[in-house]
Amino acid sequence: MTGEPAADAAMVAGELRRILAEITGDDGALAAPPGTPLLRDGIGLDSVGGTVLLAEVYRRFGIDVAGEDLNLDSLATIGTLAAFVAERRPAA
Amino acid sequence: MIKCVIWDLDNTLLHGTYLESPGRPPDADRELAPALRELAGRGVLQAVASRNPPEAAEHAERVTGHRFAAVRCGWGAKSAAITGIMTELGLAAGEVAFVDDDALERAEVGYRLPGVLVLAPQDLPGALEWPDFSPPALTDEGRRRGELYRQRRVRQDEASAFGGSREDFLRYAQTRVTIAPAEPADLPRLHELSVRTHQFNSAGAELGAGELAGLLAAPDRCLAVVRLADKFGDDGIVGGCVITVAPRTWEVGFLMMSCRALGRGVIEALLGWICLRAQAAGAGEVALPCVISPRNVPLRIALTGAGFRAAAGRQDDGEAEGESGNGQRSAWYRRPLGGQLAELPSYVSAPGAWP
Repeated sequence: MTGEPAADAAMVAGELRRILAEITGDDGALAAPPGTPLLRDGIGLDSVGGTVLLAEVYRRFGIDVAGEDLNLDSLATIGTLAAFVAERRPAA
Repeated sequence: MIKCVIWDLDNTLLHGTYLESPGRPPDADRELAPALRELAGRGVLQAVASRNPPEAAEHAERVTGHRFAAVRCGWGAKSAAITGIMTELGLAAGEVAFVDDDALERAEVGYRLPGVLVLAPQDLPGALEWPDFSPPALTDEGRRRGELYRQRRVRQDEASAFGGSREDFLRYAQTRVTIAPAEPADLPRLHELSVRTHQFNSAGAELGAGELAGLLAAPDRCLAVVRLADKFGDDGIVGGCVITVAPRTWEVGFLMMSCRALGRGVIEALLGWICLRAQAAGAGEVALPCVISPRNVPLRIALTGAGFRAAAGRQDDGEAEGESGNGQRSAWYRRPLGGQLAELPSYVSAPGAWP
């Protein structure tokens, strides 16, 4: 029963930006648009940074992205990861 | 298995308190310093987490005669210092031991990092006999491990000060990735890698010495080792893979890489080389079974980056996803070889006879 998936995704995206700012130590991530790539050019996470991000997502949202998304396509951008998490979040 | 011991200094690795003896800083502890050297000789990394200025760690290096792989000196929580060291060295909590004389510090670390093996100084001499502290095979890479991590510190410092792209830095560092057919002398190191690697290990399992010797002798198998060196140092063998060569599909049954080689173009080189080689031999596809675990996300990101997809299962058993023999979840990653593949960077070479 997720009433407002779009609002939920926006909330998740905000939380992801805070996690990314912590991981990269760069507050620029706080203002990054949803289309910003997470890996390489973009936020510039390497594969270990991606792992840390998914561990933090699991801790805060209880969603096991690494287990559910075999190809990790959800790691494309801030927006794709936020949508993936928001769709799977149990209703508050 | 413990890959790194993190030491407190005052009244632990040092016989006394550093800041309370300014004129005559304390000597190394007579029991613990030899234990440290013994462990370092077995390839276990040594690090320091201390409530002291950084000079205390430099002093400890002088009196123990050992240079640490990582150092955290400061006045924050020991658990935070240990987390920082684990991140720097690419280690998980279960691979780290922490030695401190202060029961409160031990309790704090034990509470926040339940996976870390927390020891009092008096536990240490006995702990040396535990299997946790005894690596299965002592290889050349194992003996030099502490030195290799120090080179990594220097390399990372230069990389973060370097303005250009990662590729530019790899060239500037005179990176050399060499992929070669495995020789019998390489088998102990391949076994060790299969035990030690998790972030880049497709099978989530170990390869025993006998199993490796069998693979080396099998006519339809190709056992490759990857070596890495640059101007900062020679890392020796950092990865390997086992390929079953068939006319239509090359199946990569085992692929692994040391996390020390992370970010140095090695996994990209190995995956790219496998695909180019398979295509040149006339195969239409490379297939790789990979366990699905939170720990090998780095490998799965690399696979996706190299054009592999986990989808539409094997033709012979119809399953894309299932359980591997040891009960872990796994999936098949496939890479069709139609069309032009990217060339390998100039720092990659693959001498020797290949199928």
